[in-house]
Amino acid sequence: MKRSMLGIAAAVAALGMALAGGARADQTVTVAFGDVPSVESLAMLVAFERARERGVTVELVSVEEEDIAAQAVVSGQADIGIGTPYAMIQKVKAPIRMFLQMSVLRFYPVVNTEFYREWKDLDGQEIAVHSRGSGTEAIMKLMAQKHGIAYSSISYVPGSEVRAGAMLEGTIKATIVDAANRRLLEEKAPGRFAVLPIEGVNATDEALYASTEFLTEHAAAVDVIVEELLKVAREVTADPASIVKLREQYGLLPDLPADLAAEIEPYFAESAAAQAFPANGGSAAAAQDDLAFYGLAGQLEGDPASLNVADFWDFGPTERAVAKLGQ
Amino acid sequence: MALARRMDEAAASAASDSARRGTRTLVWRLASVGLFCTTWEIAGRIPVNLAFPPFSEVALAFAAMLADGSLPRAFLVTLQPLVLGVGLSAVLGVVLGVAMGLRPGIEWLGAPVFIVLQAAPVAALVPLVTFVYGIGLASKVIVVMLLALPVIVLNGYKAVRNVNPSLVAMCRSFQGTPAQVVLKVVLPDASPVIFAGLRLGVSAGFIGVVLAELLITPTGVGDLITYHRAVAEYAHMYAVIAFVIVFSAVTLAGLQRLEIALFRPEKRTA
Repeated sequence: MKRSMLGIAAAVAALGMALAGGARADQTVTVAFGDVPSVESLAMLVAFERARERGVTVELVSVEEEDIAAQAVVSGQADIGIGTPYAMIQKVKAPIRMFLQMSVLRFYPVVNTEFYREWKDLDGQEIAVHSRGSGTEAIMKLMAQKHGIAYSSISYVPGSEVRAGAMLEGTIKATIVDAANRRLLEEKAPGRFAVLPIEGVNATDEALYASTEFLTEHAAAVDVIVEELLKVAREVTADPASIVKLREQYGLLPDLPADLAAEIEPYFAESAAAQAFPANGGSAAAAQDDLAFYGLAGQLEGDPASLNVADFWDFGPTERAVAKLGQ
Repeated sequence: MALARRMDEAAASAASDSARRGTRTLVWRLASVGLFCTTWEIAGRIPVNLAFPPFSEVALAFAAMLADGSLPRAFLVTLQPLVLGVGLSAVLGVVLGVAMGLRPGIEWLGAPVFIVLQAAPVAALVPLVTFVYGIGLASKVIVVMLLALPVIVLNGYKAVRNVNPSLVAMCRSFQGTPAQVVLKVVLPDASPVIFAGLRLGVSAGFIGVVLAELLITPTGVGDLITYHRAVAEYAHMYAVIAFVIVFSAVTLAGLQRLEIALFRPEKRTA
């Protein structure tokens, strides 16, 4: 009796799976995100909606930190993660690979013009960055190297908005903030702050990664997601205003407060102008730059030249997508 | 004469008995620590999780961080808000607690605040603290106090409330002034429970300081934990966490011994 029940259950399950795996690649993919979806994530959310239309349902799970997302992917609780898990891959040999460069770091060093005007003025001065080992710290260190200066000390103040607030209050005089907070500083105190130029920083801000096993076993679903992300990246780079319509079309972030909603278009206009969304999802050359950059950030150990890009990246999905979509 | 000798022998055998018992306890304790470390080592080698290093790696990381001075340096930074916060809480807490126990008016004002604070999830209040006190030392001291103060105050209050009423009546019947009642009867009788509150306050302070350093700005051991986690050096991260736990456990054990020595003569031989 028990046996036949089990048999029926197995048959039902098999039938269910056969139906689910029918004509379309119907599948649910869990994506772990070390942040709360907001204005900056809109392009990604649009792409996920379009992937759903093609039969790949993306379930976005917000976790507290980027490295918890990586843990979730390693332990199999999430299929895909968002971030730059270079340290995890190198130091604990996590069997995961990045496969799509979604955005590059765009941060703006700002100084209080009462005290400083250019990079040279920061020699021997104190600056504030997000955290030890963060991209913001690496950018500031890289610029110090380029300009032959040394800071007296680096303090760690997490959150661009917190650092921008401290700049306005005058408790810090030099820091690095994101685009939204750079605009905030310019609006609240026109002329009081100057943005210092940075050249040649193209390190990955957010990349998608998954276990090597998932990338081979679910290549079809990964391809759908990569294609849609690249399409949206190209669309918003060509026409940043389109994101506002797309948000309405898909009903994304319905609870966004009006003042944040007003930020959408300027944010995407600025990011598009700064080429923040790579049109081809990254490349071996871009990844090689990352190795040097994240070495400076303390994420990676060893001589960048001795590190192998293939240990960190799998360009198969983006290569297939670019072949399909064109350059 | 014979009786005296027999008594001496009895005393000597009791002393050697207790010494033997002491050694046996020590052996069992060490065995328990050894078992824990071995289990950790095995769990790390399986591994339970890629980010869970075996005990030996953590020990090596600990030694490395001691040798390069990063751990002692960070710990000194952490001690600042801890000592300030616990010190202020101790003074303020004992005064407030005793005052609440003695005066119904103060009890009426203070008790609800501290009972609510003790039940509040303080981690959720940390952002509020930063809105008012910014992101510097002041905020961290406040967070330590948010955790340490309620338990010290409430223990002081209950201690004074539960003072033996017949002792108070006796003092009064000997024509003791109110000041004498408080200084000669209430405080001495309440001191064991007040001291227990201080010990619990120190333990809460440890929780508070690590919370503050993880949630406000990463400094001291909080910085070491977040940094090593961010760069996936998990052995170092666990070494820092283990060090904080061991330090706090040793401090609390020391305080408990002090408490027994000062206030609990009945437990001294146990």
